[in-house]
Amino acid sequence: MYVVEVATQKKHLIEVLPVETTDYNSLSKARYFFNWKEERKQEVYKVVLKGQNDILGLISIERIPSEWRVHIRLLTVSRENMGNGKVFENVAGNLIAYVAKIAVIDFGVLACVSLRPKSSIAQHYIDKYNMNATGMTLSLEVPEIVNLINQYDHD
Amino acid sequence: MTNKKNIINVDSEYGVDSRYKTSKEREHDSVALMEARLERIKKLPREQVLRTKLLQLKLKMENYLKEPVYDKQNHFANFLETYVDTIYSKRSAFAKDINITPVFLSKVINSHREPKEEFMLKLMIHSEKVFKHVGEFHKGTWYQIYYHEKLCDTMSNQNQWRPKIEKQVKLTESVVK
Repeated sequence: MYVVEVATQKKHLIEVLPVETTDYNSLSKARYFFNWKEERKQEVYKVVLKGQNDILGLISIERIPSEWRVHIRLLTVSRENMGNGKVFENVAGNLIAYVAKIAVIDFGVLACVSLRPKSSIAQHYIDKYNMNATGMTLSLEVPEIVNLINQYDHD
Repeated sequence: MTNKKNIINVDSEYGVDSRYKTSKEREHDSVALMEARLERIKKLPREQVLRTKLLQLKLKMENYLKEPVYDKQNHFANFLETYVDTIYSKRSAFAKDINITPVFLSKVINSHREPKEEFMLKLMIHSEKVFKHVGEFHKGTWYQIYYHEKLCDTMSNQNQWRPKIEKQVKLTESVVK
């Protein structure tokens, strides 16, 4: 999996890793928009450039085996990776694709990734990731979930 | 508030807080989503089901290779079994496709025989043809699985093989002065 450096269009390999206890000290609301310490007891992953420590984005999830789905609780990119002046492209996409891989490993054909964004930004996720809308919930299932994994899962 | 609004306008991907606020909200969403999903699952064509099962297998194999696994399972044989049974309704059809006997295939799947070099090469080429329709699949994956399992087993079973083997190994040359 890789991100694209916007200025040079150079591809950089990334790793998605579990957030460690010590990481929480550096996860400020100013840079990562939410109070990530509230997610300490959840399953939380970070995306970093391969071999580096700086966190480019974060995702917190809940596995719900009884419904064959993984729910995205919280998702963010770091402040410098959003907007027109962003340093790297595809940070959020890689995090969603990583969670999609977890869902397919756990639940196969029944796999589902869900999230519940505010209505003002829901359309963005529908357009960019081809998500299905059911009421307030957006979801990725087969075949869209497979397409997303194949789109992002390259070295 | 103005700042936050501007952020959303600039890039909706700065983040999503998707946590359920109440159990009622969660329950309502779960029921509605499940109903919609079941309808969509019913309409899935066979090729999508097959493609997803193969992707699941590929991801499981990649996960297995990420770190040492010390257990009693026969991982190579289990992955092979899933691979064959996902694609073929009869194992003998796979055996025919790669020009081996069904008996030999059965013995490999049941871990009664080691796969031969030729079997591994055929499996590699067969997988190339299959995964062309699924997604990226590294040519060396089956070999990696096989040797990863060998290595993990060898390291974890040292108490079984080491006493006998160690007696046969000497160092007669002086390495350090």
